[in-house]
Amino acid sequence: MSARDDGKRVVITGMGAITPLGDDPSRLHDALCEGRSALQPLSALGEDSLPPTLGCELLWFEARNYLTEGNLRPLDRTAQLCAAAAGLALEASGWDAERIAAHEVGVVLGTMFGSMRTISEFDRRAVVDGPSYAKPMHFANTVINAAAGQTAIWHGLTGINATISGGTVSGLQAIGYAADLIRQGRAQALLAGGAEELCFETVFGFHHAGLLSGSRNGDAARPTPLDSRRNGFALGEAAALLMLEDAESAERRGATILAEISGHGAGYDLSRGADPSLGERAVVDALAGALDESGLEPGDVDAAVLSANGSIAGDLAEARGVGSLWNGAAPRLPVTAPKSMLGESLGAGGALQLVILLEAMRAGRLPGVHGLEDLDPEMPSLFASAESRAVAVDRGLVISNGLDGKSCALIAEARS
Amino acid sequence: MPPRVVVTGIGLVTPLGCGRERVWSRLLAGECGTSRVESFDPEGYGVDQGGEVRDFDPARYFRTLDPTSVGRSTQLAIAATRQALDDAVLDLSLLDPRRVGVIMGTTSGEAREVEAFDDHLIDERSAPAPTEFVRRYPCNVIPELVATELGVTGPNLMVPAACAAGTYAIANALDGLRAGRADVMVAGGADCFSRITYAGFARLGAVAPMRCQPFDRERKGMIPAEGSGVLVLETFDSARRRGAPIYAEVAGYGLACDAHHMTAAHPQADGAVRAMSAALDESGLGADRIGYISAHGTGTPTNDRIEAMAVRRIFNGRSRTVPISSIKSMIGHTMGAASAIEAAVCCLAIAENRVPPTAHFEQPDPECDLDCVPNEAREVEVGAAMNNSYAFGGYNASMVFRRAES
Repeated sequence: MSARDDGKRVVITGMGAITPLGDDPSRLHDALCEGRSALQPLSALGEDSLPPTLGCELLWFEARNYLTEGNLRPLDRTAQLCAAAAGLALEASGWDAERIAAHEVGVVLGTMFGSMRTISEFDRRAVVDGPSYAKPMHFANTVINAAAGQTAIWHGLTGINATISGGTVSGLQAIGYAADLIRQGRAQALLAGGAEELCFETVFGFHHAGLLSGSRNGDAARPTPLDSRRNGFALGEAAALLMLEDAESAERRGATILAEISGHGAGYDLSRGADPSLGERAVVDALAGALDESGLEPGDVDAAVLSANGSIAGDLAEARGVGSLWNGAAPRLPVTAPKSMLGESLGAGGALQLVILLEAMRAGRLPGVHGLEDLDPEMPSLFASAESRAVAVDRGLVISNGLDGKSCALIAEARS
Repeated sequence: MPPRVVVTGIGLVTPLGCGRERVWSRLLAGECGTSRVESFDPEGYGVDQGGEVRDFDPARYFRTLDPTSVGRSTQLAIAATRQALDDAVLDLSLLDPRRVGVIMGTTSGEAREVEAFDDHLIDERSAPAPTEFVRRYPCNVIPELVATELGVTGPNLMVPAACAAGTYAIANALDGLRAGRADVMVAGGADCFSRITYAGFARLGAVAPMRCQPFDRERKGMIPAEGSGVLVLETFDSARRRGAPIYAEVAGYGLACDAHHMTAAHPQADGAVRAMSAALDESGLGADRIGYISAHGTGTPTNDRIEAMAVRRIFNGRSRTVPISSIKSMIGHTMGAASAIEAAVCCLAIAENRVPPTAHFEQPDPECDLDCVPNEAREVEVGAAMNNSYAFGGYNASMVFRRAES
């Protein structure tokens, strides 16, 4: 069933992003087009049980600059990131306090771990010092939906509040979930996206899983998506939320419309990464689902923002999925992979990709894949390069291919 | 008109045992499944009662995956899912695997995995290096591993909405079926018993010392528990075509956020009222048509008082006569599984015209002036039932089920 045949249409009216390259989507896009990478040795982990590791840290973020009035203590890092991005998105889309109070605005947050640090510290405190030393206020933040709930409290958002966890596809899956709620008329305005903190615990876990660029033998300094020498990814930290609204009510209030979400799709690889052909198939299912809902053919898409992050198997499955569906025409589809400069920000990644796509649509320029020198010969030929390029994008695609088998795709179209 | 969606299978894994028939009969008998915690030493927590699933053999339910390769919450979810599919007499091999979806909810996901990870961080000799941590812990593994176990690649979603997660999952399955995204949806919730959850509720002073007594004047709190509840949902036409048993129809739901406090309900129950009201609106039923309410009913002083206030605001004069009970009095609070298990209870109440009691009820509380079906199950013409669930984050979720008339 095409989404356009039933229900309501969904538009994006604003976005907020907290990233290692700043909080302004347009300047973020400029930085990416200039090839300014946030990748550097991780400094803020404060632990010596890890080898030197590269990552994209949010070193500059001060919650108080965004969440100016009120008690910040109940909000942990993940909640602060989410609430700050939400504030930016509300402001950008013209939802002031008065309008918020008169409507039911909701939040749909994608996150892989939720508050990883809070959960682990709460538990370790109770084990080491005894349960009576565990802090009740921190317990509230150990539930995976805590950041979305805290964000609702901070901004007074009484609409549907939900969290979606789909590993590294969480952010894009959350946006698809929110779009469906609006289509069905269950919500009029939803902030949707993702947030993920970068903390010692996640770095430690991914390191021991052998998934980081420095976890294995090889070139630790090259978490370069799509490159033949890639050897794993680098973690990043970010939050990105977009304001999704029912098109009719957005138009009625005279909102600026950045794009329409015309379709999304998903796929699942039963082998969870063990069988490359099933991994490719999951990507194809996600792409085909999104195209079908949008009523588009592959040739109608002007550019794609990939989730490729330097992961050996994940990048290959994603590239092959695109190659398979574009069937020989993939070399004509401009693609980019912003995780080359922002790292793998897990639950935030897919939402951040959509922010970058919308900026590429506005600016007519697609950032390059930083550091890309030698496209993996195992991959089909792709239209990717290290340098940014001018591309007119009216219909853009975001792909999110997870570590363990889940794939999502979403299509955003400029309104003519 | 979107297709009608019905429940055709029920799977239950609870502190009162496994399987729809066993759990339902023990609930109707008013039995209690909570007791002293055994999965860790409760010394030092100040309380020691919990609802654990004992004598649980996951291997009975696994046909594809190795049960030891997955965490306990996933084990509970797969057990409930296999039961639900058997109960629905559904042969997956006859279906297109891309048209079968799995939607799950949880509060803490695979909490035991992060506990083992923490043990390693505390003392690396006490627990192995966490080489599988990032693959086994993130809560998205629960619906994904259920899908791998079943061999299905349709819509797959984890919606961790804390103690309302089961209702969120069933709601998404309803919407997905109506939108034609799948032919069959498996939906529910799962949470394993966790020392993190136990410590947290103990520190909030929310855990009852001996037993859970919802709506009783002397109620002293909830009892943390574990479990899984899973429903099989499909369209009414599909169920009729294959001659499947139909428990009930999912008539509508409502979700609302208090935006007031992370752990305390809104003082006037505004969010709860909005959720109930939206669920009734969508179902097209007036409050007078609801024959049973499955309460969130945790047994904490505040929850039950606020929930009673919300019921009064929606049901007006009928609030004292509509039967409302809390099975948490018998199995404890199974966290993300709770509202899925309670959804199953609503379906069974509609199918059998029997409602389970609120156990351990002794003294009425004037602030909870409801008919909480004290201590004895009751035969009553149900017709339609409402399931209420509330959660950290100010979440309010209500769902209405009704008899599936043809």
